[in-house]
Amino acid sequence: MAPRTITPFGPQHPVLPEPIQLKLVLEDERVVDVLPAIGYGHRGIEKACELNEYPKNIYLCERICGICSAIHGMTYCDVVEKLWPLEIPPRAKYLRTIWAEMSRTHSHLLWLGLLSDAFGFESMFMQYWRIREKVLNILEITAGHRVTQSVSIVGGVRRDIDDDQKKHCIEVLKDVRQEVAALNNVLVNDYTVKARTVGKGVLSYDQAIALGNCGPHLRASGVKEDCRTQGYWAYGELAFEPIVATGGDSFSRAAVRIGETIQAIDLQLEAFGKMPEGEIAAKPKGNPPANEATSRVEQPRGEVFYYAKGNGTRNLERLRVRTPTYANIPSLLVMLPGCEMADVPIIVLSIDPCISCTER
Amino acid sequence: MSMLSTVCRNLFGGPATLMYPVKPREPYARARGHVEFNEDLCNQCGNCARRCPAVAIELNKEKKEWILYPDRCIICEVCADNCPKDAIIIAPKWRAPFTVRERIVMHSKAVKEKGAAESGT
Repeated sequence: MAPRTITPFGPQHPVLPEPIQLKLVLEDERVVDVLPAIGYGHRGIEKACELNEYPKNIYLCERICGICSAIHGMTYCDVVEKLWPLEIPPRAKYLRTIWAEMSRTHSHLLWLGLLSDAFGFESMFMQYWRIREKVLNILEITAGHRVTQSVSIVGGVRRDIDDDQKKHCIEVLKDVRQEVAALNNVLVNDYTVKARTVGKGVLSYDQAIALGNCGPHLRASGVKEDCRTQGYWAYGELAFEPIVATGGDSFSRAAVRIGETIQAIDLQLEAFGKMPEGEIAAKPKGNPPANEATSRVEQPRGEVFYYAKGNGTRNLERLRVRTPTYANIPSLLVMLPGCEMADVPIIVLSIDPCISCTER
Repeated sequence: MSMLSTVCRNLFGGPATLMYPVKPREPYARARGHVEFNEDLCNQCGNCARRCPAVAIELNKEKKEWILYPDRCIICEVCADNCPKDAIIIAPKWRAPFTVRERIVMHSKAVKEKGAAESGT
């Protein structure tokens, strides 16, 4: 039997976007076992949310993660609105959907860039991020900031998108769609990309469900499961079908996210066309009642689950956040054993790890 | 070959980066950049200090001071949204970096005094 060595992968590694440590037990170049260690990014946000008044927590929850920040803020507002329950105006639902999909577009473009960089395809990384700059610019024009947009409040949204901004956004989105589709063609048909992703990190349908995966990671194993099919916000009125792939390997995960990027742009264009006129926020009456509420929303990385408990005061009694990467990390312990050491970065990146979300 | 359309577009499209500082980045109209305070309009109601999520605003009611801690401020615009007199506005140009943690002290000039003897300066 070959001697075993333990090599730490992370928490600082050039290919990792965020700090997670995976101690790889290696026999020569083959991974035999994985010992994960998280906790490098824990900030105690859930406890801090109990110490703040409920409107201020939106800004805390947005900063759980920089990439999925818009949807964290909106989900927090959604779960607190359910405590009353408070119905938000239809225009606010559409605006939230538009900003959520804009956030998903920029997140997937970021991931596609990181995936290309992981192979060493640096020029593709630069191209994807160049296109992402256009999406960040329309986020800045409409929401105010490029990252941590702070557009949502309990009761609706803080800002409206006027007709000039809407026209500009539609132009930029059509441009982005064309450029992304051209790049996606390259990524999907390239021989080297396929050699490094096809058959790597395979998870079957049953394994994906048993491990509790969520998001594009789950849909790449053939499971047709997406929180947006619940029809919250404006998704019930838009033509939405989850994108599913059947390979279960890293290539399928890339294909699902590639499809979702284009789908997110199409959903935004549809929502811009169907958005009704009206109010953008409803005023909540009094303090959040002594009640419990849960909210499941589709983030770029999967299903985020928020639980809130009010106690009649302006502070929440408890806020619990279960982020998608928290559910996806156990699948690494099944995917990595058996693969070669050079495949480890690609497989880890293919679950789209967001460790700042995981650890809050 | 499939990269050809992207390559041609980039070849004739010019660089993607901005020639800063020769060509500065103009801020967008509704971007949130930095906090601006108008002393003449503030009446020390305290809404901004109460609502600030980062505890970046303090009021000293005896000295009629409005104090901002710029290193704590996250430019979220909650203060400006809740100011009844529009004394705080968020301007689009991003704030310049600073190297010393100093607080900015301003004086509110529109405070109504109790009693008829003094009127606010």
